[in-house]
Amino acid sequence: MPANTNILQSIWERMKSWEGFLVAILIVVFLLNSVIAPNYLSIGNQINLFVLSIEKIIVALTMAFLIINGEIDLSAPSIMGLAACVAAYFFNRGMGFGTALLISMSVGLITGLFNGFWVAIVGLNSLVVTLAMLISYRGMARIFLEDRSIGNFPDWFNQLGQKSLVGPFPLSLIIFFGLLVLAVIILQYTGFGRRTFAIGNNKDAARYSGVKVARVKLLLFIASGLVSALAGLLLAARLGAVRGDLAYGYELEIVTMVLLGGVSIFGGSGSLYGVFLSILIILNIKNGMSLANFSGHFQTGVIGLLLILSVLLPNLVSDFQEAMQRRRRKREARRELPGTAAVAKSDASGDS
Amino acid sequence: MKFLIRRFQPEQIRELFLAVLIVLVVVFFSSQIPGYFNARFVNRISTSVVVVAILAVGQTLVFLTRNFDLSTGSIVGFTAYFLGQQLWHHPAIPPWAAVLIAIGVGTFMGSINGLLVAYGRVPSVIVTIATLAIYRSFLVEYSDAVPITTNNLPDWIVNLPPLSLFSVGDVEFRVIFGIMVLVVIVFQLILNYLPFGRRLYAIGSNPDAAQVAGFPAQRMVFTAFLLSGALAGLAGFIFLARFGNISVLAGIGLEFASIAAVVVGGVSNMGGSGTVFGAFLGALLIDLLENSLFRWQAISEFWRDAILGMLILLAVAIDFVVIGRLRKVWARAELEMSVEEAQEESEVAAHAG
Amino acid sequence: MAEPVLEMRHVFKRFDMTQALDDVSLDIYPGEIHALVGENGAGKSTLIKIITGIYRPDLGELRLDDQPVTVNNSQEAQALGIAAIYQEPMIFPDLNVAENIFISHQDRGPVVRWGKMYRDAEDILSKLDVHLDVRMSARGLTLAAQQAVEIAKAISLNVRVLIMDEPTASLSAHEVTQLFQLVRSLRSQGVAILFIGHRLEEVLSIADRVTVLRDGKKISSRLREEVTPEQVIRDMVGRDVEDFFWKADTERGELLLSVRDLGRQNVFHDINFDVYRGEVLGFAGLIGSRRTDVGLALFGIEPADSGEIILEGTRRRIHSPGEALRLGIAYATEDRRQLGLNMTMSMVANVTLPTLTSYLNPLGLIRRRAEISTAEEFRERLSIRTPSVQADVERLSGGNQQKVMLSKWLNAGPKLLILDEPTRGIDVGAKAEVHEMISDLAARGLGVILISSDLPEVLAMSDRILVMREGRQMGIFEHTDATEERVMTAAMGQYAAEQEVGA
Repeated sequence: MPANTNILQSIWERMKSWEGFLVAILIVVFLLNSVIAPNYLSIGNQINLFVLSIEKIIVALTMAFLIINGEIDLSAPSIMGLAACVAAYFFNRGMGFGTALLISMSVGLITGLFNGFWVAIVGLNSLVVTLAMLISYRGMARIFLEDRSIGNFPDWFNQLGQKSLVGPFPLSLIIFFGLLVLAVIILQYTGFGRRTFAIGNNKDAARYSGVKVARVKLLLFIASGLVSALAGLLLAARLGAVRGDLAYGYELEIVTMVLLGGVSIFGGSGSLYGVFLSILIILNIKNGMSLANFSGHFQTGVIGLLLILSVLLPNLVSDFQEAMQRRRRKREARRELPGTAAVAKSDASGDS
Repeated sequence: MKFLIRRFQPEQIRELFLAVLIVLVVVFFSSQIPGYFNARFVNRISTSVVVVAILAVGQTLVFLTRNFDLSTGSIVGFTAYFLGQQLWHHPAIPPWAAVLIAIGVGTFMGSINGLLVAYGRVPSVIVTIATLAIYRSFLVEYSDAVPITTNNLPDWIVNLPPLSLFSVGDVEFRVIFGIMVLVVIVFQLILNYLPFGRRLYAIGSNPDAAQVAGFPAQRMVFTAFLLSGALAGLAGFIFLARFGNISVLAGIGLEFASIAAVVVGGVSNMGGSGTVFGAFLGALLIDLLENSLFRWQAISEFWRDAILGMLILLAVAIDFVVIGRLRKVWARAELEMSVEEAQEESEVAAHAG
Repeated sequence: MAEPVLEMRHVFKRFDMTQALDDVSLDIYPGEIHALVGENGAGKSTLIKIITGIYRPDLGELRLDDQPVTVNNSQEAQALGIAAIYQEPMIFPDLNVAENIFISHQDRGPVVRWGKMYRDAEDILSKLDVHLDVRMSARGLTLAAQQAVEIAKAISLNVRVLIMDEPTASLSAHEVTQLFQLVRSLRSQGVAILFIGHRLEEVLSIADRVTVLRDGKKISSRLREEVTPEQVIRDMVGRDVEDFFWKADTERGELLLSVRDLGRQNVFHDINFDVYRGEVLGFAGLIGSRRTDVGLALFGIEPADSGEIILEGTRRRIHSPGEALRLGIAYATEDRRQLGLNMTMSMVANVTLPTLTSYLNPLGLIRRRAEISTAEEFRERLSIRTPSVQADVERLSGGNQQKVMLSKWLNAGPKLLILDEPTRGIDVGAKAEVHEMISDLAARGLGVILISSDLPEVLAMSDRILVMREGRQMGIFEHTDATEERVMTAAMGQYAAEQEVGA
């Protein structure tokens, strides 16, 4: 085996087949979309798609880390909303915009720390904790903004997403790709990434091997909080205004992006290449549906279906494989043992 | 003391504690708000708690098997709308049929959840986050953005909420409250006296053992989701009666309220313990808090969700830390007691022999 | 001789590359305790799973009362009167004892009658002479009590064939005696019992008939009277077994570790010992003596709350495995599957996990080639049989998995290595290799603490033996003074003294 293949050999093999599957789906989606709208396939179009969903795909990166680690952060969209609302609130009160931004990033830090405390240190189930905080942080955002919407941000802020910075790529997209590269490096090539996998794979065994489990989890939740805050700000920049229900309901899509990408909900396996492919698939499917005039709610429903399928299909496939193997083994067993032909015959009559 | 340890589990003490807490809350707010605790207040609470309480019963069944049902809000919204639609166009539908329609639709939606979780082996969080979205999109597509309004509905259903069975003074025992009480009692009995109910506890308590224990665990998980959907359908009927005006946003967030009720009520998210009655108490406490905070004016309505989320977290944390420790103490005490008794018996036997 | 209640005829079962069962035929008679022995991988658990319906045979048939049957799942097995009790009891901790007994019953009526259930449960338990409060929650039960409940459950289902898979692995000697009493009473009620165990003396003390499996084939099946332990071992191993382990004499070096009055509340107390470089200190004792907890305290997983740990002259507080590793202490756990290894990760990833920081380049990236070469080194040094160092360790045999776990800790370059049941559940050949390695480590100047319930092993491998009982230290024996009897007596403590007085 060449020395530079992925250390987690069998996971890589599994990934290869899942990723191949994703590539196939992506091609089908591109074809379908091209039928609906000729000239669909263009770099400009793809860039646009990414820019319009930048906040979701950025959070998908940290979500992937968390799920690989055996946890989940359902409160991320609420942190997005809270951070954006806090920034808008203080900006509206006359604070300098830069300071407001700083405050909202600290919101990300604090919420991440809070989540991480209950999961990593007290030991509560991250699903329940982040579900509770999904409600709570959303509520806090509404405390700040009540029913109002705040806008009138400085121009440079609003242009963050739109204006092209390097070639055709705006700043927000550069941020995404920068984070993506960083994430890939950390996950696949650093000690931290290896420990993340090990903990998700078997938390106790990792602990017994000297891994500082609590520290890793805490860091991951803090990262999730910070990235979510950043994403919230990017969303606010794109929309030009902030409301209490900013990023409401994003968790479905973000989790789908991660799970469809082949990351196991049980932790311990997955790769960011798959997540990237699944992001492409989801963005393009949604775009295709928009072009075909399907409503936003319908699109969300389809995403829900994709989520279910992303877990259901592997289950069904492995069931099928097992059944095939059993049948093959029965045939082989019979073939190899000529002396038992008599037994085989009586067995065949009574056997299913 | 021995008697106490033998007859009661930590979970039951928790329910007692919850009941006491409810009383304390009432006492506290009575002191803060003039004219707080009167017949009208009781009537209002008894009406507003019904939908969440019924959902909490269904959620309890699901929680017991170590699963979650996040789709109930969407089921409520859809069944409320669907039923409203039917009543609008066919006002001659008798009430009993209307209830059955709502329950039937909810059952169907719950069965999809159940199929995917029990037989597709997809984790319930995934399934119900997805069906939450899928059922909501059903509602949007089906309704075509045309809301149901009270004008479209037959009188009997619009007049249902305040309808009462009997009154004690000014305090009314309302029909919909009665429906809720019935549901709570029936399911509490099921969980205590039917093998089906006891096995739900077993499934959550040790899923591996449940697989080989000789009863159809998969089918039972499916049934739990089925029932959760059915109850959500019933809640949808009551939702329609209470609000009359149903838009595509109907029912959003109800699943979180039911989870809050269940968790506060002592049903463990690890499965295997908790009761329907506890879930009801949890729903009652939360509803009480919400209504009281709303009246208190010291805290604006915008604090509601923030507090709700923290409450869930608090309840889970307390359960984890306190109940966990309490269980160990209990178990040790039970063990010591049975060892003592065994020794006593063998001493008696030795003397006799 | 009665007719057999259950027969297996010419059963074959294959998994991927392995022929798990190769033309196995077995007769199980009512009112008889039939022992099934064999090394790991011999096919015992596959056989059980076929009888209980978890697997279906590729070829061959099962017959119950001379009628062919197919068992497709656990419910059908239950209906046929087949029940199994495993090492980990299948108990529902949130239900009470009575419910645990009757939970699988389909025929107790549509409604649960609690009063009747409690009475029926008490009936069954008293018939088995087991004293438990049927109303207490199963959570508080000891392992032995849980097994008793499972047996009660089987009885209540009119079990005809009871399979017991390594039931004594985690029981104390006293509990084993009680269990065997139960089993004998079952036998007298006409139940057929298939008993699988690893401790030969134990197995032979209860069996009426002994069947030996090796590599999926049935080697022999004889009545207990007709068989000797040596014959059984020879059948199991396929060769004559010589004395294969004796620790080579090594020079004792300087004092490495001193433990004074070490204790953890409610777990263990007043533990005092020294470990020198180049020596093996054995920790002997029965199950439940809390030796593992001392190891966990030294490794920082469950730190002690009183006493002192003095490492190379300096007093230390060890609060985490990371700290322990930095101080040169490594601990190889007894639970290989759940705690010792990440099963679905490669050998490379497992071996380098504790020392990952030493494999990072200045940028913080993992040096893959260095990792792989480390893994290859250990593969050769410990003769680990694996298709590739990149393969999941799950696919390796028990013995090889154990070696991977040991490689992990050796790679950490410890000064003190604590081994907890290092040869449990691995076959004879691998066992010898591990012993050789331990001897070698001592020769190189490591200090080794060997925790083991295998008394011959402890006696052969240790320079000195510390005996513990129920969290207390009973004494330290020099190699020359240690005999099986003395150590056992110390391990059993008061109990043994009482016995002598009574006798």
